[in-house]
Formats: sequence, C-alpha cells, structure tokens
Amino acid sequence: MAWRWLTRMKTALIILAVLGVQTLLATVVPQEPNVPATVADWRSGVAGPGTAVSQVIDVFGGYDVYGSPLFLALLLLLFTSLTACLVPRIRAFWRSARHGRPPLSRNITRQEHVATFASPLAADEVHARTRTLLARRRHRLRSADADDLGDGQVAAEKGIVSREGGSLLFHLSFYVLLVGIVLGQLTGFLGQVGVVEGSGFTDTSQAYWSTQPGRWWGYDDHTDFQLELDEFRVDWVRDVRFGGTPSLFEADVTVTEADGDVRTDTISPNVPMVVDGQKIHLLDWGYAPRIVVSDGGRVVWDGTTTARVTDDGSFRTAVKAPGADPDVGLAVALYPWAPPGEDGTPQITGAPWADDPLLVVAAYRGDLRLDQVQDVNRLDTTGLDLVDTAFVRLGGEVELADGTTVAFPELSRWAGLQVSRRPTVGLLLAGAALLLAGLVPALYAYRRRVWVRAVDDPAGGSMVTVAGRAFQRPDAFTGEFEDLVPLLRQELDAVPEDGPDDHEDAAPDDRGTDDAAVAVTSPKGGDASAPTTPTSGEEKVTT
Amino acid sequence: MTQPELAELSRFLFEPLALSLLTVSMVAYLYAMSARHVPRPDGTVATSGRRAEQAGFVLAVLGTIALAAHIVVRTLAAERMPLGNMFEFSTIIALTTVVVGLVVVVGRLKRPDLMGFLLLGAVLTMGAALLVYTEPGPLQQVLGTSWRAIHVSAIVFAAGLFTVAFVFGALYLLRDTAERHLRASMPGGSVGAARAVDLADDDLGTVPQRTSPDTVEGDVAELEEQFGKEHRRRMRAAIDPVRLAVGTLLGTSAVSWVFWVEGLRAGQDLFGSGFTRFVTVDIVMVLAALLARWAVPYLPSAATLDAMAYRTIAFAFPIWSFAVITGAIWAEQSWGRYWGWDPKETSAFLTWVAYAGYLHARATRGMKGRNAGWLAILAFGVLMFTYYGVNLVISGLHSYA
Repeated sequence: MAWRWLTRMKTALIILAVLGVQTLLATVVPQEPNVPATVADWRSGVAGPGTAVSQVIDVFGGYDVYGSPLFLALLLLLFTSLTACLVPRIRAFWRSARHGRPPLSRNITRQEHVATFASPLAADEVHARTRTLLARRRHRLRSADADDLGDGQVAAEKGIVSREGGSLLFHLSFYVLLVGIVLGQLTGFLGQVGVVEGSGFTDTSQAYWSTQPGRWWGYDDHTDFQLELDEFRVDWVRDVRFGGTPSLFEADVTVTEADGDVRTDTISPNVPMVVDGQKIHLLDWGYAPRIVVSDGGRVVWDGTTTARVTDDGSFRTAVKAPGADPDVGLAVALYPWAPPGEDGTPQITGAPWADDPLLVVAAYRGDLRLDQVQDVNRLDTTGLDLVDTAFVRLGGEVELADGTTVAFPELSRWAGLQVSRRPTVGLLLAGAALLLAGLVPALYAYRRRVWVRAVDDPAGGSMVTVAGRAFQRPDAFTGEFEDLVPLLRQELDAVPEDGPDDHEDAAPDDRGTDDAAVAVTSPKGGDASAPTTPTSGEEKVTT
Repeated sequence: MTQPELAELSRFLFEPLALSLLTVSMVAYLYAMSARHVPRPDGTVATSGRRAEQAGFVLAVLGTIALAAHIVVRTLAAERMPLGNMFEFSTIIALTTVVVGLVVVVGRLKRPDLMGFLLLGAVLTMGAALLVYTEPGPLQQVLGTSWRAIHVSAIVFAAGLFTVAFVFGALYLLRDTAERHLRASMPGGSVGAARAVDLADDDLGTVPQRTSPDTVEGDVAELEEQFGKEHRRRMRAAIDPVRLAVGTLLGTSAVSWVFWVEGLRAGQDLFGSGFTRFVTVDIVMVLAALLARWAVPYLPSAATLDAMAYRTIAFAFPIWSFAVITGAIWAEQSWGRYWGWDPKETSAFLTWVAYAGYLHARATRGMKGRNAGWLAILAFGVLMFTYYGVNLVISGLHSYA
C-alpha cells in the first residue's frame, strides 16, 4: 500500500513541491552556512522580522534548511520514489529493447495514417523490399508469418529506445549527481586564508583562517605547499557614475610545492591557480595597516593587521596588546580616501582607493581576556574602559589622553585566498552531460509504428497498403509519413525484368487509385476509429 | 560618436522608438484578431483585419530592428556584450519573445492571432526593464569570462521562451474556462470538446496550421455565424471579471512586492516610488488579464493553446537545464564551488524543478489539462521571482544586477 503510494507520479510531484516550498523559504530567509552574520542579526532582532518570528523560524530549522532533517528526509523519500518508479521501467525497457517487436495491425486501413498504391511487384517481393528499406531507416521489424492474420504484413517500429531510453538516462543521471555531491562533500576540502603582500602561508590546517573539511578529509591530506603573495593589484573605475566597480583584481603568487617545484602565477577572478589538484581562488581582499603602539616609551605592539571592508566603505580591524599594563585594545577603522576638508577635518568619501588613508582609533584599557576565543578583527569592549579616540594619518603618530602613542607607518594590502579540493567535479560533469543527453531525446524522440501489407493481384503485381501511427508528436509524424510513402512507392516501383512500366504510369488502371497520386488519409478531429491512446501502459511516463 | 552620445542614442532606440513601435504593432494585431471574425451580411469575412495584421507585422519588424539596433549601440557604448545587468537581460528576453513570435508563431505556425498577446508580453517586459534601467557601463571583473556569454545568453533565451509559454498557458486557461462553460451550457454541443479529448493523450499535441481565416475551427466559425455577438458574450461571461482581476492582482503581487520592499530598503517612504511601481505593475497585469478576457472568443481552441504552451516549454527546458549547468561550471571556476545554495542558484534550480513538474504533470493522468496549466503559471511566477525578487531584494553573490 505504502509502496504503491510511493511509486505514484503524483506522490513524487507532491514531494517535489514540498521541497520546492522549503527551498523558496530558504531563498527568502538567510541561511546560516551562507551568511552567518545576517542570521545573527535576524536572531538578535537588529534586522529581519523581529525576535519572535525568528524563534519560530529557528524551531523549524529555517536558518539551515538544506541541513535540516526534514529536507534530507524528503530528499531521501524522493530518491526512493524515483527508484521505485525506475526499477520496473528499466525492466520493461530492457525487455522491449531486447525482445519487443511491434504488433501486427488487425485493421490496417483503420490506422491514423493510411496510404494505398499499386506495385508491379509480387507481395512477397514487396514485403522483402519494404523490410530492407525500413531496416535501413532504422526501424525494428516484425515479420508476419502468414497464419498470423491470414495475410502477409510488415510491422515496424521506431523511436521507443531513444524516447524511453533518453528518459531513463535523464532520471539515472540524478544518481550520478547524488553520488558525486555526497562523495565530494565527504572527501572535499575548503579553506580560506588572508595573506599580506610580501608574506605567505603553508598549507597546513593551522594556517587557515577557516576551513570546511569533509568528513573523510584528514590532516595528512594537506599537500604542504607554500605560497608567497608577491604582489596584489586592485583598482576601480574612478568615475562618478560607476564609482566602485572594480576594474582590476589580481595577485602574483609564488608557490613551492611539497616536492620542491617552484611556480609563479597570477590569480584573478575566473582564473584560479591549480596546485596539486587544488584550486586557489582570489576571493577577498582588504587593507593591512602596520600599527605601532607605545606605552610609556615602550613598544607594546608593532604589527600588520588585516582589516576587512564593511558596509560604509571603511575597513575594520583591532589591535590587542596584552604587553601593556593594563592591556591596551584599539578598535580601528581605516578610511582609504578621506582627504582633509577646508577646515582640516577629514572628509570621509567611502571610496575604496587609498589616495588619502585615515586611521580612526578608539583606545581601550582593561582585561582583553585573550584566553577566550575571539575574532581577531573585532575588539570585544565589554569590561574595557574607553581612553580616547583619535585620527592618525599615514606616516603620522598621535598621543592619546593617557600618554599612549599610536603610529601608522605603513599601509599594505592583503589578499583573501580560498583553497578548495573538489575531487568529484569530473563525476558531476559526467552526470550533467548524461542529464542533457537523456533530456533531449526524452522530449523530442517519438515512438511510431508503420505497417505495410501487400496483397497479390491476380492480374499481376500487388496492392500495397501503408499505415502508420505515432504515440507522441503526431504532427511530426504526419510529415514523416508523407515523406515515407513516396519513398516506399519508388522503391516498390522498381521494374521487374519482364515489367513494361516506367514510373509515370506504374499503377494498373483498374484499382480505383489515381496513377499519379497516392491516396493518403490523415486523421480528422473526432474520428473515433483512430486510436490515439496507447494500448499498453508501458510507454506511459511514470516517473 | 562619444560614449555618452552612444548611450543616449541607445536609450532613444529603446524608448520611445522600439517600445512605441511594438506597442502600436500590438494594438494592430489585437484589432486584427477581433476584426477577422466579423462576418459581413453577404457572408464573406471582413478583410479589414488583414490590413491591420499586415500593418502590425511591418511595425513589429521595425520595432524588432529598433530593439536589435538598441542592443548593438548599447554594446558600442559600453564596449562589451550587453549581458551584464537586469536591464540588458530584460531587453534580450523581450527581443526573444518578439523574434519567436514573428518567426515561429506568425511565420511557421501561421498564427498571427496570437501575436498581439506575445507583443503584449514583450512590451510589458520592456516596460519592466525601464524600472531597472542602468546606464551602459563597464562590468565587474568577475563577469569577464566566456562562461558569462554562454550561461547568461542561454538563461536569458530560455527566459524569453518561458515568457512566450506563459502567454500561451494563461490564454489556454482562460479559453478552456470559456469552452467548458459553453459545452456545459449546450448539451450535445461540440465546441472544442472532441478535439480537447483527442489531444489530451498526445504528448506534444498538434498545432493545426491555419491557412485562411474562414477554415479556422470549423465548429467555432459555424457557431460564430449562428450566434455572433451572443456567442462572444457567452464565452466572456464564463469568466468572472472580478475573480479574474482579484486573482491576477494577488498572483502578480506574489512577485511584484519586491519593488515595494526594494524602495523601502533604499530608504523611501512607505508609499514612495517603490510602492508606485508595485501598484503600477499590478494594475497593468490586471488590465492585461481583462484584455485577454475580452479576447477569449477570438483565441484559438484551448487544445491548440495547451499544445503550444507545452511545445514551447519542452523546447525551453533543456536550454534552461544547460544554462543552470553552465552556471555551476562558472561558479566552480570563479568561486571554487559548483553549488553554494546562493539564493540565485537555488531559485534558478527551483524554476527548473517547477517546469520539470509541469512536464511530468503533462504526462500524468489526472494531472494534465488545467492542473498542468496552473503549474505552468506557477512555474513562471517562480521564474519571475528568480529574476526580480532575488536580484532586487535578496543579497547574494549574484546581486550585481
């Protein structure tokens, strides 16, 4: 009972619809794996519909739809339903592909398309030549043994393998894709790292800012290459109309592979570097100001931090100097282009090019609690006391209210690189190719049958009836049938040794057919005798 | 010519030139559709419709040329292929709709009576394009790859075809309602009934070619002579205008709310220009639906419209599949992951699922016919959400439109 329900097309469509609705919700509601910051804002009520709605969303796992048990269970159900549909179809397809032969037509003159003409050849010869012609046109044939219907007949069929086969291939490609995706998830690796110009990193788990390793990914799978960022170039269209559109974004890198090979390459959008089967993409960037903090003449911090861009165009970072007493923490905002106005106060433009960089620092004192896990780019100010705020220009130095000095001697940039290993991309590509290869014949190939029956005429020659019927795309078949009949007629007109006729007046005159025209009848709307429903259920799509 | 001059010229070619040419052509075609069915007292069929049809054809060709010229000039102005933002996508969707209409529907299928509504679809797409107008300009570097040309042109072409299919599908539902009503009110009547049943089992159906106006749908033409005005009145009466208007309003609002929200996000007042856009889109769609109701008696049979909608979707679906696949390939090349559940990826996939659902429903007993027809409308709604909603409101990696 449940199995029967599962195999129904309607069930599959309903499951698909539920999955669709879930997916639609996931497009509207931010997803935690994609945009964790937005989700945090929704949860705290800073953005989105408010905390109450947010809690409801959380109850239904709405912030991680694709990882939710309901989604995965439905996906499993869908694949089960698909399998339940496909197994009998494959079996039937296999049978018909191997043994299936078109049935004979009991009432050949009552088929959808019928044409009659006379041939100078004997019936047996007509059947033989028809078989050759139809076989050449790649029809599968069934011969009529005489006692089957009382007279000879050629039955031919075409299109069943490509249509049903295409449909099966299309549906089977989903399994290839599923295997590719799951295997890729398990064995793949994704890691992000920021590298300041002139420095580098080594491919080990500790070096990455963040990683998403697959379950079957181990530490040993790192290939231990070393990467140096030689130069990073970025530029924008500096035009008021299109201000901020990046025009240049690329990084020159030198990679030393584990076996000692050294390669230099340029990474730019769409052009990743491939190292030991891993792709290195350039996805992110920011400014890296060098900041020197002195407390009472003693340098407590001298380092380059990686500042990340925010919505207002500033680049934010933090300095955490536990060497001072008490700890000094700076919340830093870098405005790349903040030229001084007429009265000397900086004019913040929000433009990303560093024509006139300005550092805005807010200095705090207190316990930085560095024993806890923290975001390196953000200063957690809870429990800290604000000392002072100040501007620092590039190359400048400023003394804060408590005597601490902050210097900004250098500005460089960092590039955000992503290292990814996707071992199953080839498999997925193959799955996609199968999908397309199956889809086109599944939609366009059509199954049709042709019958040819010749009856010996006592006066010599024979009377030939050609009939045809399409299961799909009847209009396409109408054209094909109209082409086939003259072709067949020409083939069957071939003059036997003793025949006197030539093509123009081949037909004997007493048969009720015009000698020039072939009588072709096509279905009329509402003709009850023309069967338009396939008689057996096997060719109906069930999945 | 300088860049700004080219930009101005391209804008002129689009609006007012192409937009007005196609609008006038649409009116001519709609008039021709209604006029050709007017029998004269002496029994002949009015020819005024044919003149209007010829005029409509010429205007549509001119409008198409203007639209194509606009794309060429815009290419020169921006110094790149015009496949970079929503305005450009919409332009190409409209161009696809008009070209498919002229070449396939008018040229091959000899169905000029459907051209008016295809032009309506194209004109509305162009109008909506003006809502998201962008000056021609350079692209982000990430878009500078040959995958962009392949992925974007395939997806925009498929979207144009889906627009054509939506026109057919919506007209099918209206016509089907009218035919059912007529059949029910006339026991023993045969309007479209036999044909609808015959075609129901054929996957691709037949699209009967139309040769001359008086051989069209014999039984309908007969009835036309018998009942004339009364017949048209009864067909229209089958569709409740209030229900149609409210349904269209709600259906359109399911997507058009994004214009309002976009306005609010940009800091506009609650009833600012975003709200105006939202209301305008809704009103225009309701008017279009009422226009279609008026045209119901002149439309081809429901079975024909259904078959045409199916064939268009069956043609567009592999192209959309291909486009989604190339999108994944591009994502792998550009971002190092072939699929990231980015809202745009997800909704493009959802559109694929919706149309796949339609194709399956069309092949399933108990689902085909009106149910499948509604699924086609729903699928187009998902497509529109993918296009407008995700681009304008939901931020993701594709939000450069």
